[in-house]
Amino acid sequence: MRGIRRWMLTGTVVLALGGVALAGVKAGSVITVRVMSAKVMSGPKFIGATAGTVSRGDQLTVKEVKGDWYRVEGAATGWIHKTNIVDGKVALSSKPGGGGAGASRDEVELAGRGFTPQIEGAYRDQNPTLDFGHVDAIEQVTFDPGELEAFVREGGLAGGGQ
Amino acid sequence: MSRRGGAVAVALVAAAALAGGGACKATLTPGGLYDLAKGIKDAKKELTPENEYYLGRAVGTKILANADYRYEDEDGWQSGRLSSTTAYVNAVGNVVAFAAMGAPRDGDRPSPLAGWHFVILDDESINAFAAPGGYVFVTSGAIHQARSEDELAAILAHEVAHVVRGHAIGSIQKSRMSGVMKQFLDSSVELDPEVEAQMASVFGGSIDDIVDGALVKGYSKDTEFEADRVGLAIMVAAGYDPQAFVSYLRTLASHQDTGSGGFYATHPKASERIAKLEALVAKQAPVRVPAIRVERFEAAVSELP
Repeated sequence: MRGIRRWMLTGTVVLALGGVALAGVKAGSVITVRVMSAKVMSGPKFIGATAGTVSRGDQLTVKEVKGDWYRVEGAATGWIHKTNIVDGKVALSSKPGGGGAGASRDEVELAGRGFTPQIEGAYRDQNPTLDFGHVDAIEQVTFDPGELEAFVREGGLAGGGQ
Repeated sequence: MSRRGGAVAVALVAAAALAGGGACKATLTPGGLYDLAKGIKDAKKELTPENEYYLGRAVGTKILANADYRYEDEDGWQSGRLSSTTAYVNAVGNVVAFAAMGAPRDGDRPSPLAGWHFVILDDESINAFAAPGGYVFVTSGAIHQARSEDELAAILAHEVAHVVRGHAIGSIQKSRMSGVMKQFLDSSVELDPEVEAQMASVFGGSIDDIVDGALVKGYSKDTEFEADRVGLAIMVAAGYDPQAFVSYLRTLASHQDTGSGGFYATHPKASERIAKLEALVAKQAPVRVPAIRVERFEAAVSELP
């Protein structure tokens, strides 16, 4: 294909499906944060006290596995849920697929194909009246799981998400 | 978090530093999901969370650009200090979403890359819909029809179920993906302008398919019934009363003869949904609903226009 700098892909990254079972994660494994930002919890549950925050691309060492939760050390120390990470050391930039021409091979294979910041940019050029400022702001807002714990306790809820 | 506390503290996600390059151990398999010979046949299975993130941003933008859907608390979203009503709806939504993520089913989508966001649309019609990537929209009209936090949780759980089951992505016409298959797979970096424009058109078409599916055409009955079934399981896992799902649908059924557009145009008859749900609800243990859940719901909703 003329004009395209290709990465000749012979396959795909197993990690490309976030729903894939991370059977290989065990104590000693290194995992990489895939979501933009994730709370590292004091215990293996979604709602409760937080021990820190990690960002996309942060690489963490697993010290213990408990169901779908991993006790990790690295940018923060505590528990992180499997849906927030990919297995292995993967070089990911903070903006999904945002590595551009300097993107690592990992970034391209995991996140840099299909709909990327470049394609969003071209779409925005084609639709200049669309205001992405709303979603830019909305996606910056997140809740403190510690405050949610009080909400759950007050309401007599199970909280779920263990 | 308490609704009495007024504005609820929210944390702004700090911009993350670039991870940079470096050594990598990504596992490659021959063939795999993106098989050049076969092409993308099922967007639900093969679009990555990163692809979904960009689709969700654009779908959300198009919905919010619709003049009919002015949204509540724009200042709060912009400043990161939500009004008590928006914060309350997001608290219920996040409790429900965490319950979904804590008990995933085969084929569930993973965590949205930018988290879950529950946006109230200032519209008296009864409607709720979800975009890929964790954006859930619910009209003030739909909230006003609810009588308790548990009924609100039922609305949001149904929408969270749509997201985790990838229903919106399923609205993308298969021909779009097959038509751009090769470009999609090769679109690593430095696309030439012609291909970039073609990809942007596919992106735009996919967004239109999703918006059309959510707002106009609706999903198939089976898809809606799945969202009910999964949504019920999610709200039960969160500790909400499953009876509230049926009681909310009964309220909607009472308006079925006079209701039109919005929810009524895009969902199966509420009576059909009730018939399918009642047997499932009967299997659930009874839930005692503390008065505080009704009280804090009424306090939050009283501030909605």
